[in-house]
Amino acid sequence: MFRFVTFPWLEGQREQPSPSSKPPGDVRTADLELAARCRAGDAGAFEELYRQHARRLFNLVVRMIGSVDDAEDLLQEVFLQAHRKLSGFRGDSALGTWLYRLTMNHCLDHLRGRQARMNRATESLDDEGSDEPMAPAPAVPAPVSRLDLERAIEMLPDGARAAFLLHDVEGFEHREIAQILGISEGTSKSQVHKARMKLRAFLSR
Amino acid sequence: MNCELYDDLIDDYVDGIRAANSGNDGRMAAFERHLAECGRCQAVVADLTSIRTGASSLERHVPPPRLWTAIARSLDERQRQPWWQRQLGGAFSLWVPVAAAASIALLLVSGLWQPWKQAAQESHHQDVSALSPESAPVPAEQHYEQAIAGLQQLADAQNAALDPATRTVLTQNLAVIDRAINESRAALAQEPASTLAQESLLDALETKVTLLQDTVALASETGAMADDPAGTAKELNQ
Repeated sequence: MFRFVTFPWLEGQREQPSPSSKPPGDVRTADLELAARCRAGDAGAFEELYRQHARRLFNLVVRMIGSVDDAEDLLQEVFLQAHRKLSGFRGDSALGTWLYRLTMNHCLDHLRGRQARMNRATESLDDEGSDEPMAPAPAVPAPVSRLDLERAIEMLPDGARAAFLLHDVEGFEHREIAQILGISEGTSKSQVHKARMKLRAFLSR
Repeated sequence: MNCELYDDLIDDYVDGIRAANSGNDGRMAAFERHLAECGRCQAVVADLTSIRTGASSLERHVPPPRLWTAIARSLDERQRQPWWQRQLGGAFSLWVPVAAAASIALLLVSGLWQPWKQAAQESHHQDVSALSPESAPVPAEQHYEQAIAGLQQLADAQNAALDPATRTVLTQNLAVIDRAINESRAALAQEPASTLAQESLLDALETKVTLLQDTVALASETGAMADDPAGTAKELNQ
Protein backbone atom coordinates (compact mmCIF):
# COMPACT_ATOMS: atom_id res chain seq x y z
CA MET A 1 0.00 0.00 0.00
CA PHE A 2 1.08 3.58 -0.44
CA ARG A 3 -0.25 6.97 0.40
CA PHE A 4 0.41 10.45 -0.91
CA VAL A 5 2.35 13.10 0.84
CA THR A 6 -0.09 15.98 1.14
CA PHE A 7 0.57 19.69 1.13
CA PRO A 8 -2.18 21.38 3.16
CA TRP A 9 -1.25 24.88 1.95
CA LEU A 10 -2.21 23.85 -1.57
CA GLU A 11 -5.71 22.78 -0.62
CA GLY A 12 -7.00 26.33 -0.77
CA GLN A 13 -6.01 26.54 -4.42
CA ARG A 14 -8.43 23.85 -5.49
CA GLU A 15 -11.10 24.96 -7.88
CA GLN A 16 -14.37 23.24 -7.31
CA PRO A 17 -16.69 24.25 -10.09
CA SER A 18 -18.07 20.81 -10.86
CA PRO A 19 -18.76 20.52 -14.58
CA SER A 20 -22.32 19.54 -13.75
CA SER A 21 -22.92 21.76 -10.75
CA LYS A 22 -25.71 23.78 -12.39
CA PRO A 23 -28.97 22.43 -13.73
CA PRO A 24 -28.40 21.52 -17.42
CA GLY A 25 -31.18 23.81 -18.66
CA ASP A 26 -29.72 26.83 -16.90
CA VAL A 27 -26.23 26.04 -18.18
CA ARG A 28 -27.46 25.57 -21.73
CA THR A 29 -29.42 28.83 -21.74
CA ALA A 30 -26.54 30.77 -20.24
CA ASP A 31 -24.13 29.18 -22.72
CA LEU A 32 -26.29 30.07 -25.71
CA GLU A 33 -26.65 33.63 -24.47
CA LEU A 34 -22.92 33.97 -23.93
CA ALA A 35 -22.14 32.46 -27.34
CA ALA A 36 -24.64 34.81 -28.98
CA ARG A 37 -23.05 37.81 -27.26
CA CYS A 38 -19.61 36.70 -28.46
CA ARG A 39 -20.88 36.30 -32.02
CA ALA A 40 -22.49 39.73 -31.87
CA GLY A 41 -19.09 41.23 -31.11
CA ASP A 42 -19.69 41.99 -27.43
CA ALA A 43 -16.16 42.86 -26.31
CA GLY A 44 -16.68 41.66 -22.73
CA ALA A 45 -18.44 38.42 -23.59
CA PHE A 46 -15.43 36.58 -24.95
CA GLU A 47 -13.33 37.67 -21.99
CA GLU A 48 -16.09 36.31 -19.76
CA LEU A 49 -15.89 33.01 -21.61
CA TYR A 50 -12.12 33.02 -21.14
CA ARG A 51 -12.38 33.78 -17.42
CA GLN A 52 -14.89 31.00 -16.93
CA HIS A 53 -12.83 28.25 -18.53
CA ALA A 54 -9.20 29.25 -18.97
CA ARG A 55 -7.94 28.14 -15.56
CA ARG A 56 -9.22 24.59 -15.82
CA LEU A 57 -8.28 24.31 -19.49
CA PHE A 58 -4.77 25.56 -18.83
CA ASN A 59 -4.29 23.07 -16.02
CA LEU A 60 -5.46 20.28 -18.31
CA VAL A 61 -3.27 21.38 -21.22
CA VAL A 62 -0.13 21.63 -19.07
CA ARG A 63 -0.63 18.07 -17.89
CA MET A 64 -1.56 16.80 -21.32
CA ILE A 65 1.49 18.18 -23.11
CA GLY A 66 3.87 18.51 -20.18
CA SER A 67 5.10 22.06 -20.81
CA VAL A 68 3.84 25.35 -19.38
CA ASP A 69 5.28 27.37 -22.29
CA ASP A 70 3.75 25.13 -24.94
CA ALA A 71 0.49 25.15 -23.00
CA GLU A 72 0.31 28.95 -23.25
CA ASP A 73 0.77 28.86 -27.01
CA LEU A 74 -1.65 26.02 -27.45
CA LEU A 75 -4.37 27.56 -25.30
CA GLN A 76 -4.02 30.84 -27.17
CA GLU A 77 -4.63 28.95 -30.43
CA VAL A 78 -7.59 27.19 -28.85
CA PHE A 79 -9.30 30.42 -27.80
CA LEU A 80 -8.65 32.10 -31.14
CA GLN A 81 -10.13 29.13 -32.93
CA ALA A 82 -13.04 29.09 -30.49
CA HIS A 83 -13.71 32.74 -31.35
CA ARG A 84 -13.83 31.86 -35.03
CA LYS A 85 -15.91 28.74 -34.52
CA LEU A 86 -18.49 30.07 -32.10
CA SER A 87 -20.89 30.48 -35.00
CA GLY A 88 -20.89 26.68 -35.19
CA PHE A 89 -21.81 26.26 -31.52
CA ARG A 90 -25.39 25.01 -31.50
CA GLY A 91 -25.87 24.26 -27.83
CA ASP A 92 -25.93 20.50 -28.38
CA SER A 93 -23.51 20.25 -25.47
CA ALA A 94 -22.45 22.65 -22.77
CA LEU A 95 -20.14 25.42 -23.94
CA GLY A 96 -17.51 24.11 -21.53
CA THR A 97 -17.72 20.65 -23.07
CA TRP A 98 -17.42 22.20 -26.53
CA LEU A 99 -14.32 24.10 -25.42
CA TYR A 100 -12.80 21.01 -23.82
CA ARG A 101 -13.37 19.07 -27.04
CA LEU A 102 -11.64 21.80 -29.02
CA THR A 103 -8.79 21.86 -26.51
CA MET A 104 -8.30 18.11 -26.43
CA ASN A 105 -8.25 17.97 -30.23
CA HIS A 106 -5.48 20.57 -30.20
CA CYS A 107 -3.58 18.69 -27.50
CA LEU A 108 -3.80 15.38 -29.34
CA ASP A 109 -2.72 17.03 -32.60
CA HIS A 110 0.22 18.56 -30.75
CA LEU A 111 1.15 15.26 -29.20
CA ARG A 112 1.09 13.41 -32.51
CA GLY A 113 4.18 15.41 -33.36
CA ARG A 114 5.91 13.88 -30.39
CA GLN A 115 4.61 10.39 -30.95
CA ALA A 116 7.99 8.69 -31.11
CA ARG A 117 9.00 9.94 -27.69
CA MET A 118 5.62 9.10 -26.24
CA ASN A 119 5.80 5.61 -27.67
CA ARG A 120 9.12 5.04 -25.99
CA ALA A 121 7.68 6.21 -22.69
CA THR A 122 4.61 4.07 -23.13
CA GLU A 123 6.71 1.01 -23.88
CA SER A 124 8.59 1.44 -20.67
CA LEU A 125 5.29 1.24 -18.80
CA ASP A 126 3.96 -1.61 -20.90
CA ASP A 127 7.00 -3.62 -19.94
CA GLU A 128 5.79 -3.52 -16.37
CA GLY A 129 2.87 -5.76 -17.27
CA SER A 130 0.65 -3.14 -15.68
CA ASP A 131 -2.36 -3.94 -17.85
CA GLU A 132 -3.04 -6.92 -15.67
CA PRO A 133 -5.62 -5.45 -13.32
CA MET A 134 -5.55 -8.16 -10.74
CA ALA A 135 -1.82 -8.69 -10.63
CA PRO A 136 -0.55 -9.48 -7.16
CA ALA A 137 -0.02 -6.31 -5.19
CA PRO A 138 3.63 -5.28 -5.56
CA ALA A 139 5.68 -3.96 -2.75
CA VAL A 140 4.95 -0.25 -2.76
CA PRO A 141 7.22 2.22 -1.06
CA ALA A 142 5.44 4.63 1.20
CA PRO A 143 4.91 7.50 1.12
CA VAL A 144 4.62 8.34 -2.59
CA SER A 145 4.89 12.00 -3.44
CA ARG A 146 2.77 14.05 -5.78
CA LEU A 147 5.88 14.68 -7.81
CA ASP A 148 6.07 10.97 -8.54
CA LEU A 149 2.42 10.99 -9.53
CA GLU A 150 3.01 13.94 -11.91
CA ARG A 151 5.89 12.08 -13.53
CA ALA A 152 3.87 8.90 -13.80
CA ILE A 153 0.96 10.75 -15.43
CA GLU A 154 3.35 12.17 -18.04
CA MET A 155 4.29 8.64 -19.02
CA LEU A 156 0.77 7.43 -19.67
CA PRO A 157 -0.34 6.82 -23.25
CA ASP A 158 -2.18 9.84 -24.69
CA GLY A 159 -5.65 8.34 -24.65
CA ALA A 160 -5.41 6.96 -21.15
CA ARG A 161 -3.85 10.19 -19.88
CA ALA A 162 -6.61 12.27 -21.43
CA ALA A 163 -9.36 10.19 -19.86
CA PHE A 164 -7.58 10.02 -16.51
CA LEU A 165 -6.96 13.78 -16.34
CA LEU A 166 -10.55 14.57 -17.26
CA HIS A 167 -11.96 12.07 -14.76
CA ASP A 168 -9.66 12.00 -11.77
CA VAL A 169 -8.11 15.48 -11.97
CA GLU A 170 -10.87 17.61 -13.51
CA GLY A 171 -13.81 15.68 -12.12
CA PHE A 172 -15.77 15.04 -15.31
CA GLU A 173 -18.17 12.14 -15.50
CA HIS A 174 -17.67 9.37 -18.05
CA ARG A 175 -20.59 10.53 -20.21
CA GLU A 176 -19.00 14.00 -20.40
CA ILE A 177 -15.58 12.55 -21.20
CA ALA A 178 -17.21 10.52 -23.95
CA GLN A 179 -18.54 13.75 -25.49
CA ILE A 180 -15.23 15.57 -25.12
CA LEU A 181 -13.04 12.82 -26.55
CA GLY A 182 -15.55 11.50 -29.06
CA ILE A 183 -15.50 8.00 -27.58
CA SER A 184 -18.07 5.76 -25.91
CA GLU A 185 -18.73 5.87 -22.19
CA GLY A 186 -17.44 2.31 -21.90
CA THR A 187 -14.18 3.27 -23.60
CA SER A 188 -13.81 6.18 -21.21
CA LYS A 189 -14.18 3.81 -18.26
CA SER A 190 -11.67 1.35 -19.66
CA GLN A 191 -9.16 4.13 -20.41
CA VAL A 192 -9.40 5.46 -16.85
CA HIS A 193 -8.97 1.92 -15.51
CA LYS A 194 -5.97 1.37 -17.76
CA ALA A 195 -4.44 4.64 -16.61
CA ARG A 196 -4.94 3.88 -12.94
CA MET A 197 -3.43 0.42 -13.23
CA LYS A 198 -0.42 1.75 -15.12
CA LEU A 199 0.06 4.45 -12.51
CA ARG A 200 -0.18 1.83 -9.78
CA ALA A 201 2.44 -0.28 -11.47
CA PHE A 202 4.75 2.69 -11.96
CA LEU A 203 4.34 3.99 -8.42
CA SER A 204 4.92 0.54 -7.01
CA ARG A 205 8.42 0.26 -8.41
CA MET B 1 -10.21 -16.29 -5.78
CA ASN B 2 -12.02 -15.11 -8.90
CA CYS B 3 -10.75 -11.55 -8.79
CA GLU B 4 -11.00 -11.12 -12.57
CA LEU B 5 -14.78 -11.49 -12.38
CA TYR B 6 -14.92 -8.06 -10.84
CA ASP B 7 -12.47 -6.34 -13.11
CA ASP B 8 -15.10 -3.93 -14.41
CA LEU B 9 -16.41 -3.04 -10.95
CA ILE B 10 -13.25 -2.15 -9.13
CA ASP B 11 -13.08 1.39 -10.57
CA ASP B 12 -16.75 1.99 -9.84
CA TYR B 13 -16.04 0.98 -6.27
CA VAL B 14 -13.04 3.31 -6.08
CA ASP B 15 -15.29 6.09 -7.46
CA GLY B 16 -17.64 5.61 -4.56
CA ILE B 17 -20.33 3.40 -6.06
CA ARG B 18 -21.68 0.85 -3.61
CA ALA B 19 -24.16 -2.00 -3.85
CA ALA B 20 -26.80 0.13 -2.20
CA ASN B 21 -26.82 2.57 -5.10
CA SER B 22 -25.32 0.68 -8.02
CA GLY B 23 -28.37 -1.14 -9.40
CA ASN B 24 -26.28 -3.70 -11.30
CA ASP B 25 -28.07 -6.93 -10.52
CA GLY B 26 -26.27 -7.62 -7.29
CA ARG B 27 -22.80 -7.85 -8.82
CA MET B 28 -21.53 -4.98 -6.73
CA ALA B 29 -22.85 -6.70 -3.61
CA ALA B 30 -21.01 -9.84 -4.69
CA PHE B 31 -17.86 -7.82 -5.24
CA GLU B 32 -18.16 -6.26 -1.79
CA ARG B 33 -18.41 -9.73 -0.25
CA HIS B 34 -15.40 -10.82 -2.30
CA LEU B 35 -13.48 -7.72 -1.31
CA ALA B 36 -14.01 -8.39 2.38
CA GLU B 37 -12.09 -11.65 1.99
CA CYS B 38 -9.55 -10.88 -0.75
CA GLY B 39 -6.28 -9.28 0.26
CA ARG B 40 -5.18 -8.66 -3.34
CA CYS B 41 -8.36 -6.77 -4.22
CA GLN B 42 -8.13 -4.81 -0.99
CA ALA B 43 -4.62 -3.74 -1.96
CA VAL B 44 -5.73 -2.71 -5.47
CA VAL B 45 -8.67 -0.73 -4.12
CA ALA B 46 -6.45 1.00 -1.56
CA ASP B 47 -3.84 1.90 -4.20
CA LEU B 48 -6.36 3.14 -6.77
CA THR B 49 -8.12 5.16 -4.08
CA SER B 50 -4.80 6.78 -3.19
CA ILE B 51 -4.15 7.56 -6.85
CA ARG B 52 -7.62 9.04 -7.27
CA THR B 53 -7.26 11.13 -4.11
CA GLY B 54 -3.77 12.25 -5.10
CA ALA B 55 -4.90 13.20 -8.61
CA SER B 56 -7.77 15.31 -7.35
CA SER B 57 -5.47 17.27 -5.07
CA LEU B 58 -2.61 17.92 -7.47
CA GLU B 59 -1.34 21.46 -7.64
CA ARG B 60 -3.25 23.58 -10.17
CA HIS B 61 -1.37 25.29 -12.98
CA VAL B 62 -2.66 28.84 -13.40
CA PRO B 63 -2.52 30.69 -16.75
CA PRO B 64 -0.39 33.84 -16.59
CA PRO B 65 -2.12 37.20 -17.18
CA ARG B 66 -0.11 37.65 -20.39
CA LEU B 67 -2.10 34.83 -21.97
CA TRP B 68 -5.33 36.83 -22.06
CA THR B 69 -3.36 39.90 -23.15
CA ALA B 70 -2.02 37.98 -26.14
CA ILE B 71 -5.44 36.60 -27.03
CA ALA B 72 -7.07 40.02 -26.72
CA ARG B 73 -4.40 41.54 -28.96
CA SER B 74 -4.98 38.90 -31.62
CA LEU B 75 -8.73 39.42 -31.44
CA ASP B 76 -8.23 43.15 -31.70
CA GLU B 77 -6.22 42.67 -34.89
CA ARG B 78 -9.01 40.54 -36.23
CA GLN B 79 -11.55 43.22 -35.38
CA ARG B 80 -9.73 45.55 -37.75
CA GLN B 81 -10.74 43.34 -40.66
CA PRO B 82 -13.77 44.54 -42.68
CA TRP B 83 -16.93 43.90 -40.69
CA TRP B 84 -18.53 41.74 -43.37
CA GLN B 85 -15.46 39.51 -43.50
CA ARG B 86 -15.55 39.05 -39.73
CA GLN B 87 -19.25 38.33 -39.70
CA LEU B 88 -19.43 36.09 -42.71
CA GLY B 89 -15.97 34.66 -43.22
CA GLY B 90 -15.87 31.98 -40.56
CA ALA B 91 -19.47 30.92 -40.64
CA PHE B 92 -19.76 30.40 -44.35
CA SER B 93 -16.22 29.61 -45.41
CA LEU B 94 -17.13 26.10 -46.56
CA TRP B 95 -19.94 26.94 -48.92
CA VAL B 96 -19.19 30.50 -49.95
CA PRO B 97 -17.52 29.46 -53.22
CA VAL B 98 -20.55 27.35 -54.17
CA ALA B 99 -23.01 29.99 -53.04
CA ALA B 100 -21.10 32.72 -54.87
CA ALA B 101 -21.22 30.74 -58.10
CA ALA B 102 -24.93 30.13 -57.61
CA SER B 103 -25.46 33.82 -56.91
CA ILE B 104 -23.72 34.88 -60.08
CA ALA B 105 -25.77 32.40 -62.10
CA LEU B 106 -28.93 33.66 -60.43
CA LEU B 107 -28.06 37.24 -61.25
CA LEU B 108 -27.31 36.45 -64.86
CA VAL B 109 -30.50 34.47 -65.31
CA SER B 110 -32.72 37.01 -63.65
CA GLY B 111 -31.28 39.80 -65.74
CA LEU B 112 -30.86 42.00 -62.71
CA TRP B 113 -27.17 42.56 -63.11
CA GLN B 114 -27.30 44.98 -65.98
CA PRO B 115 -29.94 47.30 -64.48
CA TRP B 116 -28.00 47.37 -61.20
CA LYS B 117 -24.71 48.07 -62.85
CA GLN B 118 -26.22 50.76 -65.02
CA ALA B 119 -28.02 52.33 -62.10
CA ALA B 120 -24.94 52.22 -59.93
CA GLN B 121 -22.88 53.92 -62.61
CA GLU B 122 -25.53 56.58 -63.03
CA SER B 123 -25.66 57.22 -59.33
CA HIS B 124 -21.88 57.53 -59.04
CA HIS B 125 -21.87 60.09 -61.82
CA GLN B 126 -24.60 62.12 -60.23
CA ASP B 127 -23.80 65.41 -58.60
CA VAL B 128 -24.05 64.25 -55.01
CA SER B 129 -24.28 67.80 -53.81
CA ALA B 130 -27.82 67.82 -55.10
CA LEU B 131 -28.83 65.19 -52.58
CA SER B 132 -30.64 66.12 -49.41
CA PRO B 133 -32.06 64.06 -46.55
CA GLU B 134 -35.51 64.58 -47.98
CA SER B 135 -34.50 63.63 -51.50
CA ALA B 136 -35.79 60.48 -53.13
CA PRO B 137 -33.56 57.42 -52.97
CA VAL B 138 -30.91 57.18 -55.66
CA PRO B 139 -31.78 54.83 -58.54
CA ALA B 140 -29.20 52.25 -57.52
CA GLU B 141 -30.65 52.15 -54.04
CA GLN B 142 -34.10 51.59 -55.49
CA HIS B 143 -32.85 48.69 -57.54
CA TYR B 144 -31.18 47.15 -54.54
CA GLU B 145 -34.34 47.60 -52.49
CA GLN B 146 -36.41 45.88 -55.18
CA ALA B 147 -33.94 43.02 -55.41
CA ILE B 148 -33.85 42.71 -51.62
CA ALA B 149 -37.64 42.58 -51.45
CA GLY B 150 -37.78 39.83 -54.07
CA LEU B 151 -34.97 37.80 -52.54
CA GLN B 152 -36.44 38.26 -49.07
CA GLN B 153 -39.67 36.67 -50.28
CA LEU B 154 -37.73 33.75 -51.74
CA ALA B 155 -35.65 33.37 -48.59
CA ASP B 156 -38.72 33.45 -46.36
CA ALA B 157 -40.41 30.81 -48.50
CA GLN B 158 -37.41 28.45 -48.33
CA ASN B 159 -36.27 29.27 -44.83
CA ALA B 160 -37.86 26.16 -43.37
CA ALA B 161 -35.30 23.99 -45.18
CA LEU B 162 -32.54 25.41 -43.01
CA ASP B 163 -31.76 24.07 -39.58
CA PRO B 164 -32.60 26.40 -36.66
CA ALA B 165 -28.97 27.16 -35.81
CA THR B 166 -28.17 28.22 -39.37
CA ARG B 167 -31.34 30.30 -39.48
CA THR B 168 -30.24 31.99 -36.27
CA VAL B 169 -26.82 32.80 -37.71
CA LEU B 170 -28.35 34.13 -40.92
CA THR B 171 -30.85 36.22 -38.97
CA GLN B 172 -28.08 37.65 -36.84
CA ASN B 173 -25.98 38.46 -39.89
CA LEU B 174 -28.93 40.11 -41.58
CA ALA B 175 -29.44 42.16 -38.42
CA VAL B 176 -25.80 43.25 -38.57
CA ILE B 177 -26.21 44.25 -42.20
CA ASP B 178 -29.45 46.10 -41.49
CA ARG B 179 -27.64 48.00 -38.74
CA ALA B 180 -24.95 48.94 -41.24
CA ILE B 181 -27.59 50.07 -43.73
CA ASN B 182 -29.33 52.19 -41.10
CA GLU B 183 -26.05 53.69 -39.96
CA SER B 184 -25.10 54.50 -43.55
CA ARG B 185 -28.48 56.12 -44.14
CA ALA B 186 -28.10 58.17 -40.98
CA ALA B 187 -24.62 59.25 -42.06
CA LEU B 188 -25.94 60.15 -45.50
CA ALA B 189 -28.75 62.14 -43.94
CA GLN B 190 -26.26 64.14 -41.93
CA GLU B 191 -23.81 64.56 -44.78
CA PRO B 192 -25.69 64.25 -48.07
CA ALA B 193 -22.57 65.22 -50.02
CA SER B 194 -20.48 62.44 -48.57
CA THR B 195 -19.41 60.06 -51.29
CA LEU B 196 -18.09 57.74 -48.60
CA ALA B 197 -21.49 57.53 -46.91
CA GLN B 198 -23.20 56.86 -50.21
CA GLU B 199 -20.74 54.14 -51.19
CA SER B 200 -21.05 52.67 -47.73
CA LEU B 201 -24.83 52.48 -48.13
CA LEU B 202 -24.57 50.84 -51.54
CA ASP B 203 -21.96 48.41 -50.25
CA ALA B 204 -24.20 47.44 -47.35
CA LEU B 205 -27.19 46.99 -49.65
CA GLU B 206 -25.12 44.89 -52.03
CA THR B 207 -23.92 42.78 -49.11
CA LYS B 208 -27.51 42.20 -48.06
CA VAL B 209 -28.41 41.13 -51.59
CA THR B 210 -25.47 38.72 -51.57
CA LEU B 211 -26.40 37.27 -48.18
CA LEU B 212 -30.01 36.76 -49.25
CA GLN B 213 -28.83 35.07 -52.45
CA ASP B 214 -26.58 32.85 -50.36
CA THR B 215 -29.49 32.09 -48.06
CA VAL B 216 -31.66 31.03 -50.98
CA ALA B 217 -28.84 28.95 -52.45
CA LEU B 218 -28.10 27.31 -49.11
CA ALA B 219 -31.78 26.57 -48.51
CA SER B 220 -32.00 24.93 -51.93
CA GLU B 221 -28.83 22.99 -51.30
CA THR B 222 -30.00 21.88 -47.85
CA GLY B 223 -33.32 20.77 -49.27
CA ALA B 224 -31.50 18.74 -51.91
CA MET B 225 -29.20 17.21 -49.32
CA ALA B 226 -31.93 16.43 -46.80
CA ASP B 227 -31.12 12.74 -47.14
CA ASP B 228 -27.55 13.32 -45.97
CA PRO B 229 -27.66 14.90 -42.52
CA ALA B 230 -24.28 13.36 -41.70
CA GLY B 231 -22.59 16.11 -43.66
CA THR B 232 -23.77 18.71 -41.19
CA ALA B 233 -22.75 16.58 -38.24
CA LYS B 234 -19.32 16.13 -39.70
CA GLU B 235 -18.82 19.86 -39.97
CA LEU B 236 -19.99 20.33 -36.39
CA ASN B 237 -17.39 17.91 -35.16
CA GLN B 238 -14.52 19.69 -36.83
